[in-house]
Amino acid sequence: MAGVVDVPKPRINCSMLLQHISRPVCFVGRVEKVHPTGKTFTVSDGEGKIATVELNEPLEEELSGIVEVIGIVSTKGVIMASMYNMLREDKGILFDLDLYNEALKVIHDFPQHYPFQVASSG
Amino acid sequence: MTKLSEGAIEALSNGTGGNDAVLQCVNIRKIDGGNGPARFRVMMSDGRHTLSSFMLSTQLNIMAEENRLAPNCICVLKKHVTNMLKDGRRIVIILEIDVIKPAEDVAGKIGEPTPYTEGKVVASTLLISTVIVHFSVAVVGKAPSAVPNTPGGTSKVVPIASLNPYQSKWTIRARVTNKSTIRTWSNSRGDGKLFSMEVVDESGEIRVTGFNQEVDKFYTLIEVGKVYYISKCSLKIANKQYTSVKNDYEMTFSGESTVIPCDDSCDVPMVQCDFVSISDLENRDKDAIIDVIGVCKSVEEVTRITTKSNREVTKRTLSLMDMSGKVVTVTLWGEEAEKFDGSGQPIVAIKGAKLSDFGGRSLSASFNSTLMINPDIPEAYKLRGWYDKEGHAMDGQSLTELKGGSGGGNTNWKALSDVKTEHLGHGDKADYYTCIATIVYLRKENCLYQACPSQDCNKKVVDQQNGMYRCEKCDKEFPNFKYRLILSANIADYGDNQWVTCFQESAEAILGQNAAYLGQLKDSNETAFDEIFQQANFNTFVFRNRVKLETYNDESRIKATVMDVKPVDHKDYSKRLIMNIRKLAAQ
Repeated sequence: MAGVVDVPKPRINCSMLLQHISRPVCFVGRVEKVHPTGKTFTVSDGEGKIATVELNEPLEEELSGIVEVIGIVSTKGVIMASMYNMLREDKGILFDLDLYNEALKVIHDFPQHYPFQVASSG
Repeated sequence: MTKLSEGAIEALSNGTGGNDAVLQCVNIRKIDGGNGPARFRVMMSDGRHTLSSFMLSTQLNIMAEENRLAPNCICVLKKHVTNMLKDGRRIVIILEIDVIKPAEDVAGKIGEPTPYTEGKVVASTLLISTVIVHFSVAVVGKAPSAVPNTPGGTSKVVPIASLNPYQSKWTIRARVTNKSTIRTWSNSRGDGKLFSMEVVDESGEIRVTGFNQEVDKFYTLIEVGKVYYISKCSLKIANKQYTSVKNDYEMTFSGESTVIPCDDSCDVPMVQCDFVSISDLENRDKDAIIDVIGVCKSVEEVTRITTKSNREVTKRTLSLMDMSGKVVTVTLWGEEAEKFDGSGQPIVAIKGAKLSDFGGRSLSASFNSTLMINPDIPEAYKLRGWYDKEGHAMDGQSLTELKGGSGGGNTNWKALSDVKTEHLGHGDKADYYTCIATIVYLRKENCLYQACPSQDCNKKVVDQQNGMYRCEKCDKEFPNFKYRLILSANIADYGDNQWVTCFQESAEAILGQNAAYLGQLKDSNETAFDEIFQQANFNTFVFRNRVKLETYNDESRIKATVMDVKPVDHKDYSKRLIMNIRKLAAQ
């Protein structure tokens, strides 16, 4: 999925999943449960809603805390992840998921002021 | 023999009749009216009962004075009005009476009348006092309203607005709105203590002070919010410096003053406050006495400080916000500070707070002020409603610059372009603001100077060229000096830039090195010195700046000084940005 890397990926939360089907997105949430196979796990967003993430290969490490997932949304609303990024809780400032959610809402309420697509393709 | 109207006394007493009653005058008593005319109290009989609660209206005084109306005479009560006393008894005011048989022509008391009593027996003086209140009304012929009872007093209840130093026999019925703490003093003339309070009635308000013995007599008796009959205080011109009370006079308790609790208080107003909007405080003079009401947004811990007179006092500050969106810091002292509970963002009202220009504008609850928490007044409810709906989300702009804390809702956030558009610093006083900005240029030339090595002296020393450095302020020479920083920098944000001067602490924070080390590097390793400035460039900080218009030889320029530099709190910043975006969107 190399096409995901160069393309602008809007940041979304669970309520916006279904508007982005078949599109690359960036999802930040807190890891909830990891499936025993290690190929799928659930994350909760700043509003407390849950989304499912599916990986190409099973996890090779313990996943916990806040994670940033980049992938494409399937027709069923599952994020098919191409890469993920764990935000370490022992370093730096603690990530405030609620504040992030507020910021997300602002970005989506005022797309005219946040033209990420234009910036990326320019 | 002329027949008396038996039953008339009963009817008069009950208010059920008595017109044109034929009565015999049993007794007449003259009552000194004090400041007014004399009054005559008459005891009348209808043959069955006597009633002593008859008052002759003053226009008929002449009848008594000329003895036309005298004990034993028979008369017809042509016109009268009755007043109802608080305890249910009536007084009959005689407005017109015809003597049909003069006293000389009557042998004696007709019949064996017994005194008609109804309810409690009250001292005669009471009757007089209550009637005197209404004699003016009675003369006009109107039916007067309920007379407030004045137990124990020989004066009428007067409105506060009518009090003056030229009348000493009066009683007021008022509610205590404000009671200060007891204050003691000790000077060359001796010791003393005093307390003061403010009382209000339908007509106005007035300040009352009690000294020494009166403090012992009245302080514990008097409770804020309760209504009392107060009499016989001495009136004098008010000293407006100490109070916000609207009255030309103020009064002092004397040895003869009385304070009696009153039960019937529903028509005495609760509290008279003239609240000033917090945004308007900027326009008031410092040291003004102000009433204010607002939501307690935040409150600090109690701290102890030592005053100039070496007394230890406790104090606590709280921030108060009202619908103007402005916030002001209020300082509480002593017991009030210790007892204050600011949890739950209560509505706080202060009557008689002192406005100071400390940090711009701030308020202090002096010993004269009254602090009310969640008072039962309409302004409080309005504030509560506003705060729950919108106020709680507002940051509020503070009129008070606090040293060091930028937390809470107290900082005055500005963008650099605001400094110019709002003409900050153009007033008499310096303006303080906080902003987030990025350093875009640091002037490394002349950023260091040689200062006096003495502890608290930072004056530039003169190089004597002989290995000694002279400080003019300390008037001493030293073989050494200490390096101090004065850093000129240009900071910028999205809208504008600003030249600022940073002194020692803020400069060291920006450069990340202390002045002594920098001084050393400058002399020894210029490359390393330059590197420090390169690294410091383009960093973003929270700056707290002071701006003031300064004039040098006909040229005026805004000078900005950095008071404090802090790293950016991104969470706080994000929250503020989101709030501002939402606010802008709502407009």
